[in-house]
Amino acid sequence: MSSRITTIIGRNGAGKTTLLRILSTQLMPTSGKATIFDLDVVHQAKEIRKRIVSIPQEASTIGILTPMEQVSMYLVGRGFSSADAKRATLDALDTVGLHDARNNPADTLSGGMKRKCFVAMALAANADVIFLDEPTTGLDPISRLEVWSAIKQLKGNVILTTHYMEEAEKLSEEVFLVESGSIIDKGTVKSLLKGFENKVRIESYRKMDNAFRVGTIYIKYVPQDNASEFIKEGDNVRKISLDDLFIMRGVDIES
Amino acid sequence: MNLKFIFTFAWYYGFKIIKRAPSYIIASLTTPLSLLFVVYILTSGALVKYAIVGGMITLVASIGLSSAGDATFLRLQLRLQDLYVASKVSPTDYMMALTLSFLAFSVPGIIVYVSLGVLYNLYSLFDSLIMLSLIVILIFSTSAISFIISSAVKHVRNVWGIVSVLSIIMTVIPPTFYPYTDIMSRNGGNIIIYLMSFSPATPAAILAQFAFGLQPIVYNTLYTMIGILLTETVIYFAIARYLTRWREN
Repeated sequence: MSSRITTIIGRNGAGKTTLLRILSTQLMPTSGKATIFDLDVVHQAKEIRKRIVSIPQEASTIGILTPMEQVSMYLVGRGFSSADAKRATLDALDTVGLHDARNNPADTLSGGMKRKCFVAMALAANADVIFLDEPTTGLDPISRLEVWSAIKQLKGNVILTTHYMEEAEKLSEEVFLVESGSIIDKGTVKSLLKGFENKVRIESYRKMDNAFRVGTIYIKYVPQDNASEFIKEGDNVRKISLDDLFIMRGVDIES
Repeated sequence: MNLKFIFTFAWYYGFKIIKRAPSYIIASLTTPLSLLFVVYILTSGALVKYAIVGGMITLVASIGLSSAGDATFLRLQLRLQDLYVASKVSPTDYMMALTLSFLAFSVPGIIVYVSLGVLYNLYSLFDSLIMLSLIVILIFSTSAISFIISSAVKHVRNVWGIVSVLSIIMTVIPPTFYPYTDIMSRNGGNIIIYLMSFSPATPAAILAQFAFGLQPIVYNTLYTMIGILLTETVIYFAIARYLTRWREN
């Protein structure tokens, strides 16, 4: 089975998780209609559930159980025989790089390894559609790379949410931009980034009103030009912060 | 019903955890064994048989009730329930699997009480079968109550307080450690017993007192208590099944 990864990208509160939870039959929609394989998520949830895997955003492992036990237990719940579950679990843990840690209690695993344990569940379940809700949130860059590598091993249609454009770039063929519960743009990563060629993306985080806020701008990258860090005032060149640069360029700092 | 999942889950989430974290067993045994000691001292051993029989009821019921903490933790903190929603597992399978896990948590404590019972010549084979039936019904009814609590709780930290209070009210106040007739013989005793019967531990304790010959059998009371225990188990389970937030609104 070949894989196809579609990314739903948007800032916190945009509605990514809500959409995913509705599609994976965890949340009842208040209005509208959604179907998967022409099956209605409200009225045919039971049929849909047999064909999907959904890994929640804040899913966490049971600390005292090992990856081998957690994945096996999940697979038996999906209808695998004990022997098939064990075999599929071993294969999946091997594929995501958890073979050596398969018998260690989850408490002793790193954050990235715990996330990979869930990717192994999705991989072993061999479902038609896999929903991954922000699978790398909170991970360090190296762990994120490892989880990306594991996600690339998934088969079937993978729908993942993220607020990292880089994640969408690395993993997916198609991207949907979501804002306030609506899709505001869609296309391939390449088409969405058209017009931003030869530019670098800079993200700045700062604390405002007791909350961290993020602003993103695309600045043309010219090695000799220090405009992104320095500003010329008359004959003086002054170093400025990225936050000031955002303000000068009229970029809103978003929540 | 997905029996394979129910037993696999209970094996991993029940027996494996007992083996790796035995502190849970000690915690669940602390209250009934302390009360057994208090009853022994205060009655110079006269009511110790009540405390052994009642202690087992208290142990099982309190483990069932405190499972609300686990159910809430798995739902809100680990998101385990969400993981299983999008699968073939039904809400009844999930509830049964957790209930069976909690029964597994009770097993070491039950062994302690069975040993005490043997020491005091309390058990015959027939009595033991009745006790086993009571324990199974009790774990179902109290787990169902815990699911009802869990479905209403919005944050994990809120559940621990509720469970502690409920556990005392529903397992220590009922006639688990004393003869049920001590209440029945008072003015309005009948009404008090029926009010107390909202806790499955009350009919279970009265039935156990009959079964172990601690009290002479009063058939009216016997049939009424069997009826109450079975009916409330079904009702609590049906409410829990209805309220379990399998798919949230």
